[in-house]
Amino acid sequence: MSYMKTALMGCTMLAMSGAAWAQDETTVIGVSIPAATHGWAGGMNFHAQETVERLEETYPELDFVLTAASDAGAQVNDIEDMVATRGIDALVVLPFESDPLTPPIQSVAESGTWVTVVDRGLSVEGIEDLYVAGDNPGFGRVAGEYMAEQMPDGGDIVVLRGIPTTIDNERVAGFEEAIEGSGINIIDMEHGNWNRDDSFNVMQDFLQKHDQIDAVWASDDDMAVGVLAAIEAAGREDIQFVLGGAGMKEMVQRVMEGDDMIPADVTYPPAMIATAIEMTAVGLVSNAPVSGTFTIGSVLITEENAEQYYYPDSPF
Amino acid sequence: MTDAPVLSLRDVRKSFGPVEVLHGVDLDLRAGEVLALIGENGAGKSTTMKILAGYQPATSGRILLDGEEVSFGSLHEGEEAGIVMIHQEFNLAEQLTVEQNIFLGRELHNGWFLDKARMRRLAREYLDRVNCTVHPDTRVSQLSNSDKQMVEIAKALSRDARVLIMDEPTAVLTGSETETLFEQVRAMKADGTAILFTSHKLGEVAAIADHVTVLRDGAVVHDGRAADIDEDGMATAMVGRDVSDLYPDKAGAPDDVVLRVTGLDVPGHAEGVGFELRRGEILGIAGLIGSGRTEAMEGLCGLRPARAERIEIDGAKIDIRRPSDALEHGLCYMTEDRKLRGLLLDKSMRVNLTLQSLDQFGGLMIDRAAEERALDRAIEEFDIRAGRREMRVGNLSGGNQQKLLLAKVMMSDPSILIADEPTRGIDIGTKQQIYAFLRTLAASGRAVVMISSEMQEVIGLADRVLVMRLGRVSGTLSGDEITEDAIVRLAMGVGAGDSERAA
Amino acid sequence: MTSETTNSPMRRALPSMSVLGPVLALIVLVVIGASLNANFLGTANITNVLARSAFIGIIAVGMTFVITAGGLDLSVGSMAAFIAGLMILVMNAALPSLGVGVPIILLGMAVALLAGLVAGLLNGFLITTLGIEAFIVTLGSMGIYRSLVTWLADGGTLSLDFELRTFYRPVYFDGILGISWPIIVFAIVVIVGELLMSRAKFGRHCAAIGSNESVAHYSNVDVNRTRLLTYAMLGLLVGVATIMYVPRLGSASASTGLLWELEAIAAVIIGGTVLKGGFGRVWGTVIGVLILSLIDNILNLTDLVSPYLNGAIQGVIIILAVILQREAKAKG
Repeated sequence: MSYMKTALMGCTMLAMSGAAWAQDETTVIGVSIPAATHGWAGGMNFHAQETVERLEETYPELDFVLTAASDAGAQVNDIEDMVATRGIDALVVLPFESDPLTPPIQSVAESGTWVTVVDRGLSVEGIEDLYVAGDNPGFGRVAGEYMAEQMPDGGDIVVLRGIPTTIDNERVAGFEEAIEGSGINIIDMEHGNWNRDDSFNVMQDFLQKHDQIDAVWASDDDMAVGVLAAIEAAGREDIQFVLGGAGMKEMVQRVMEGDDMIPADVTYPPAMIATAIEMTAVGLVSNAPVSGTFTIGSVLITEENAEQYYYPDSPF
Repeated sequence: MTDAPVLSLRDVRKSFGPVEVLHGVDLDLRAGEVLALIGENGAGKSTTMKILAGYQPATSGRILLDGEEVSFGSLHEGEEAGIVMIHQEFNLAEQLTVEQNIFLGRELHNGWFLDKARMRRLAREYLDRVNCTVHPDTRVSQLSNSDKQMVEIAKALSRDARVLIMDEPTAVLTGSETETLFEQVRAMKADGTAILFTSHKLGEVAAIADHVTVLRDGAVVHDGRAADIDEDGMATAMVGRDVSDLYPDKAGAPDDVVLRVTGLDVPGHAEGVGFELRRGEILGIAGLIGSGRTEAMEGLCGLRPARAERIEIDGAKIDIRRPSDALEHGLCYMTEDRKLRGLLLDKSMRVNLTLQSLDQFGGLMIDRAAEERALDRAIEEFDIRAGRREMRVGNLSGGNQQKLLLAKVMMSDPSILIADEPTRGIDIGTKQQIYAFLRTLAASGRAVVMISSEMQEVIGLADRVLVMRLGRVSGTLSGDEITEDAIVRLAMGVGAGDSERAA
Repeated sequence: MTSETTNSPMRRALPSMSVLGPVLALIVLVVIGASLNANFLGTANITNVLARSAFIGIIAVGMTFVITAGGLDLSVGSMAAFIAGLMILVMNAALPSLGVGVPIILLGMAVALLAGLVAGLLNGFLITTLGIEAFIVTLGSMGIYRSLVTWLADGGTLSLDFELRTFYRPVYFDGILGISWPIIVFAIVVIVGELLMSRAKFGRHCAAIGSNESVAHYSNVDVNRTRLLTYAMLGLLVGVATIMYVPRLGSASASTGLLWELEAIAAVIIGGTVLKGGFGRVWGTVIGVLILSLIDNILNLTDLVSPYLNGAIQGVIIILAVILQREAKAKG
């Protein structure tokens, strides 16, 4: 489907660019992101589209090309097509994987095109003009600090990890560092692959294996959904709370409503793509481009501040 | 020309589990001599040949190659020693071309690459030697059975065999193809190749063999020069009783018409076929392979797309669109190809027997006890001999497979049976049983259509004979008109002597 | 050969390795599990494993028929995701008019069964009537359903209305006499499937077609209709599995049912059904499904190996289970 959407988007763009052409001096910005294959990516796609639409209205002189790729190879093709057929002046890219995308993005940068990299850094430093990064160690650290604060006397927790990747490793390392010396024990850790069904199964088995679990770091809101269902089905009362992550709207809503099981969430906002597109666009229009690294820190969402992180229209 | 044997068996025994199937067989193959190994199905011919070629080890006894005892660890060692076997079930890769098959496993190389030019030249040469006109690039799956047989022989020629073993090479060949094959056999014999072949056609044995060895129940019962035994003698030795009375008596006065077909078209195969079939008779259908006999009957029974002006059974017009329509009207076709179309070779006898008529064995659920009882009856009635009841049908001998196939189609109790080559590749004793069965069936008030390529069988069994040529009925013969000469004239088209193979 | 002519009485030998292989593998897994963790044989864990196996299990029973008849269906995983998505959308849409209650659940179930049946018939039609390779047809429909569900969910997750989900939940978590519904439904599907395969005309016809299509055709078996029915039945069972799946988490997304098709096919083959068709057994498939679920369960319950290696352990066991059967075949 992402295919058709992309095509449709392309058509809209063409029509718009036709209109924009009349005014001369059009600047084209290419945006290349992974397709919506899971919740977070779905949210990211939503924010990207929304931002593109909004900016095109605000700045008639800007023209956008948005593509969503289902794997790293397809993303390379997308970028090559943008350069070859649309003559982009700037590229905003959220790389599928760092290594395979580095050389093609490098060659785009060398041709003088402005490059903004989002979330996943490239393998070679200094290619991009602007790096809008999520903070994975920080994501783990914020979660760990919250756990330590909630459980001053320590306790036994289980951890669900994502798909084995650098991102996951950095988060878990950050978390472990933050809970060090707090008396909190990680009694079990298993991959739930950022997937509801997998995390449900893993949590069921954890509940079988351990008679006492004080809290769960699900490390992701999709996984938290599976974990909560498993706990509810088992009817276990010993678990005090589940901490997810990423800021899925259903979870943020539960935080906002003061749910005991979900007292907090940690952001890893899919909206960082919007920030990146906006910064790039504004930079190009104002002739005063912002370059360097812009880290979007992970923030703790609690009942008090939940409202600002609640996007009811986003699919995520 | 008879000197020391090239390949010999001495007191060879073979057991499958507790059952001994060869009881001390002695056999000698000599250079420049054709040995015919004959016997009923299940007599142990195939096993003997497989031991000779190294496909199966003997349980005990010795194999002597040039007087030295050998044991072939594998098929490959047999071939290394110059022993080539052509199977009855073709050993060809269906999706490869003729040329690729001929050189399969021993492709000619030119450095790193295949030497296609030389393979093409040699393939053409081998095919020419067996008078085979197929193009080397044709896929084997598109060939007729007789062409496949010729390709097998061409493949054997390419192996430069010292010993050539052929399991019923003529079963699927027409008369002239058989003659071509025999010319090659004679040429190879003259070159000093030792040849062993089996056949159920005793006339061929008399024509080509120098030496005849008869097996019965896993033991050699006759061994001697071909000149010293006639066909009757061979048959008697094989069966162990007198079989001169092979065909049952023909029926008396014909009864009323049970099936009338007019204007049957099978696109690409037959056109305007029409005939009548009377109660109590056996109608033979003769014609060359490729004359559309099989296709016409398959079309009639709804097994392939066909259209007919009018089909009447017992005077009433009926419509046949699919096989079940034909069965409902008591019309049943028994295929000529028991291995590929007739039987599930990896299933048991029970499953095969009832497949066509499962409706008789309970509604949604199958009544297994009833199936077992049906199998008991079929084993009894058709004299099916199997080692174990549960054995794979593929392990039965050809004759027993054919009897099982007959039992299977008879499960639906047809009033009209169309039997396509009902005795292909089976021994004379079983043939006699099948002839008797078909005659009894007809006599019991049913009607039988028998398609056959064996002239003697058509003449001996059929009350009337319909001859097909190039997809059309070229004539019908009855009573004393049924002679070999008359059938051949109709099959070839009068005066058309050379263009024998029809479309 | 005289000994052959007498009808020797049927000898009752020990069951062959092809029968014993998967059963042994399952027993070994159970013993390993029980020795490593005391809770392994507890009611709760057994219930968890069986209920979890039910989705793949129900689908794998249908897959057994498809494979036995010489076919293949790669689309079941994404078909399940699509049906789940569709079911959620329809139920959410009907909520204002029907309200929370039994009728809306029944509507959802009807939608799932109908969608499954139609999807299965569509696969079957393309394969039988148009004669396109099953692999290609279902590879295509796999992509189509996966995309459709992503599109329906707008790249995110489709969630059942919270109240509705609470009402529907018991379909996964409750049951009768302490046995939860997915297990009951799974058991019924297995029993009916086993009877259909080993005792009924349909199963016999499937095996005949898979064994040799021409023989089946010449034996008055309606090859196309039987094949079509296997795909339709599989589709319907995917619908049944989805009915059990949706109440568990109340959501569907692009990652729902990912790789279910391969798990189902693996379970079928581990159970002793021949991949190229001609022979199938439903009870074997059940063993295959249980073996696959137990491996995961045991690895979660213990800390024996690095979780990175779970997939490798699964792979080794799948190959071993099949080798055990081969070995037996070679010896006759």
